[in-house]
Amino acid sequence: MRLAGQTILFLVLAFLIGPFILICVAGLSGGETLAFPPEGLSLRWVARVFEVESFRATFAVSITLGIGATLLALLIGVPAAYGLERYNPPGANVIRNVLSSPIIVPGIIVGLALLRHLVIPLGVGILPALFIGHTALLIPYAVRIVSGSLVNLRVDIEEAAVLLGASRLQSFTKVVLPNIRNGIMAAFIIGFITSFNQVPVSLFLTGPGVSTLPIDMMAYMEFNYDPSIAALSGLLALMSLVIVLVAEKLLGLSRYV
Amino acid sequence: MSDAFLSLQDLTLGYGGSVAVEALNLDLDRGELVALLGPSGCGKTTTMRAIAGLMKPMSGRITLDGRDITRVAPNKRGIGLVFQSYALFPHLTVFENVAFGLRLQGVAKAEITRRVTAALASVGLASFAERQPKALSGGQQQRVALARSIVVEPKLLLLDEPLSNLDARLRLEMRSELSRLQKELGITMIYVTHDQSEALALADRIVVMRQGRIEQIDTPANIYERPVSGFVAEFIGFENTFALKQGALVGPKGSLALAGAPGAHGLAWRPRTVVLGQGAHEGRVIGASYLGETVEYLIDSAAGPIKAETPAHAPRHAMGENLRFDLPVEAAAVLSRA
Amino acid sequence: MFQDRRLGLALLAPATLFILLGFLLPVAILLSGAFQTPEGWGFSSFTEFFAKPLHREVFWRTFRLGLYVTTISAVIGYAVALSIVDASDKRKGRLVATLVLPLMISPVARTYAWVVILGKTGIVNQFLTGTGILDTPARILFSETAIFIGLIQLFFPLMVLPLISALENLPRDVVPAARMLGANWLQVFWKIILPLTREGLVVGGTLVFVGSLTAYVTPAILGGSKVLMLETLLYQRVSVANDFAAAGVIAVILIVMSIVTNVVLKRLATRKGGK
Repeated sequence: MRLAGQTILFLVLAFLIGPFILICVAGLSGGETLAFPPEGLSLRWVARVFEVESFRATFAVSITLGIGATLLALLIGVPAAYGLERYNPPGANVIRNVLSSPIIVPGIIVGLALLRHLVIPLGVGILPALFIGHTALLIPYAVRIVSGSLVNLRVDIEEAAVLLGASRLQSFTKVVLPNIRNGIMAAFIIGFITSFNQVPVSLFLTGPGVSTLPIDMMAYMEFNYDPSIAALSGLLALMSLVIVLVAEKLLGLSRYV
Repeated sequence: MSDAFLSLQDLTLGYGGSVAVEALNLDLDRGELVALLGPSGCGKTTTMRAIAGLMKPMSGRITLDGRDITRVAPNKRGIGLVFQSYALFPHLTVFENVAFGLRLQGVAKAEITRRVTAALASVGLASFAERQPKALSGGQQQRVALARSIVVEPKLLLLDEPLSNLDARLRLEMRSELSRLQKELGITMIYVTHDQSEALALADRIVVMRQGRIEQIDTPANIYERPVSGFVAEFIGFENTFALKQGALVGPKGSLALAGAPGAHGLAWRPRTVVLGQGAHEGRVIGASYLGETVEYLIDSAAGPIKAETPAHAPRHAMGENLRFDLPVEAAAVLSRA
Repeated sequence: MFQDRRLGLALLAPATLFILLGFLLPVAILLSGAFQTPEGWGFSSFTEFFAKPLHREVFWRTFRLGLYVTTISAVIGYAVALSIVDASDKRKGRLVATLVLPLMISPVARTYAWVVILGKTGIVNQFLTGTGILDTPARILFSETAIFIGLIQLFFPLMVLPLISALENLPRDVVPAARMLGANWLQVFWKIILPLTREGLVVGGTLVFVGSLTAYVTPAILGGSKVLMLETLLYQRVSVANDFAAAGVIAVILIVMSIVTNVVLKRLATRKGGK
């Protein structure tokens, strides 16, 4: 029976990872069309990825969005987590549900709602709307991960700091922050990757010159059958993996997932 | 081929590449309560798990009631096991826990109710049938675990340190309970423990184990009075254990000349058999503790420290006092090996 | 030191207001729009929506595929989780990492691979025509099967990880105890493991089912405009026909299904536990 279990495990892992390796190899194809096995190996499609104007532009948008939205989510999410964990204010449960609500609402609805009720009537730009949507999406992750770190942090060290003369703000910045630093960085990385790979929220929030990379890729693949999408997929995956592996080495990211 | 009820023949057990129990041979009679006694790591739990079928032997045979069960799956051996952690099913009531094995056998509802109620009554938990395991104390959980194992009428019952998680008073109570139940039901039992007083109190025979081998198998009285090796002697409370080489007792510090006991490998004395105030040897008192009924002394000698015990009314010896002492050969346990 | 609860509220205010105003409010307005008819409040948008056979077909398809993906994931998920939990610590860590890493990669990349595998000139068809099983390449892409395969690959890790966690929290020795009482492995799974890991199954099931219902990228790439799911239908209705009424209806359906799944499964998890 152990053998059966090992076989199933192997097949499942092959199923999960295999297609992905395949697409990376297809991206290294020397041929004209997307095919596997590829006709020869070359880097020309990888190079082509960097030449496509829309890829470069939307990559910039995705990166800016990822970093910006995550920073904002942390900026307002860390105090929120701290307020919830340490103060247990009235209505804490309701607030927790509100802060978690973005996870329950399908992203496509968020994008459409922002378009129809923020962008069009109020004239809010597409990019700011994207920004708001992504930030809202990331707040639950920020709050949850940082709360986890705070729960494991003893309260008496803050009391000790205050008794030694620190103000509440000083005790937060000098005692609490350094100790939840790893949690915050983990939240940053997970938030960035979530935002970067996000599609549904950004679906309706595209305009002239403004779009995110995954959406641009989907548009491209509708009319083009060359291996550049495969090459780009491979590059993006490589980027994600490198970020995650580095984070794991430096932070022990796996503890926060 | 033996007609013993349970027979372990040349059983070798191990984990990964290393051997934990080597070529073990053991025979049990029907209705016996045998204790596997030894320090942690001696292989007693490993042996028990192999008998249960939870572990495959590297080589050797296990026979139960005339049937070779070496390759039989654990759920088909008719052997019960009371775990040290009790392992009650948290999602079932006490009644359902005890009924579990019977339900698997397809026993009729009315029969199940009768037998489960009887089993719970026999462990004194008749009114606990509808409780949840998490609402029970340690002692109560232990008794449910016991009822669960005996209600299916196993041929052999294994108990893995069943009393080690209980406080001292409860342990004494449960010990008599177990003994009574075993005699009443006539179940053959193997009791695994590191506590020598439990083994002495309960067992018909004790198997002392050390590093994967059997040191001595005997009745409690014989183990207690006549340990065969230094290890068993120390384990059972002979605090003055010496190897005997060319007419001298060899201890950690040096040796003491001693006549008599030819052929013995070693000799061991209990503290109360050491004679103070007279004798062939010289020593100095380096410790004295008044214990109420007795006084305990630590005597420094040529062979090393000797522990002695006298009744409180005997003449006292002061710290630092030089005195003579004797180790009478007739009071010693003769050790036939190291 | 933490008695000033108003300070606590003040710390929570920015995040809470941001979500309320920038997120919940627009969404609430959108959802309420589905209930507005020329005669005031009503369900006419819903009846109009379900009047169209295509819409009904898309609704059932989404629900069906969600069930299939969740069920298969649960069955295979248990097998995989049991194997992983058995492994040594080092191997276990590596296996879990192999499950988690794909979650960090863009769904676009992960789904696109299936285009290469399942397409007319993809390796599956190459195998089928090459070995002579078929004369002409089979159409696998742009079908429910393709979407099903894509969804399983996407969401399977989300089922296994909670199961692994639940299995590791099983009380010690209950499995060998059941064995000693005569249970075979099927009985051990059904009577002991399944009831005691129910919460893990519920967490995994919720993530996979809701994820499948609300998937966009996979149905878009592997189903195209031929095989629509609720979210690709929504996109199509809005971008092609400006049919915001349909969009609103679909939005309400998606949210209601998401909430109902969460509530129902949570109830299932805690039901017997407290008896």
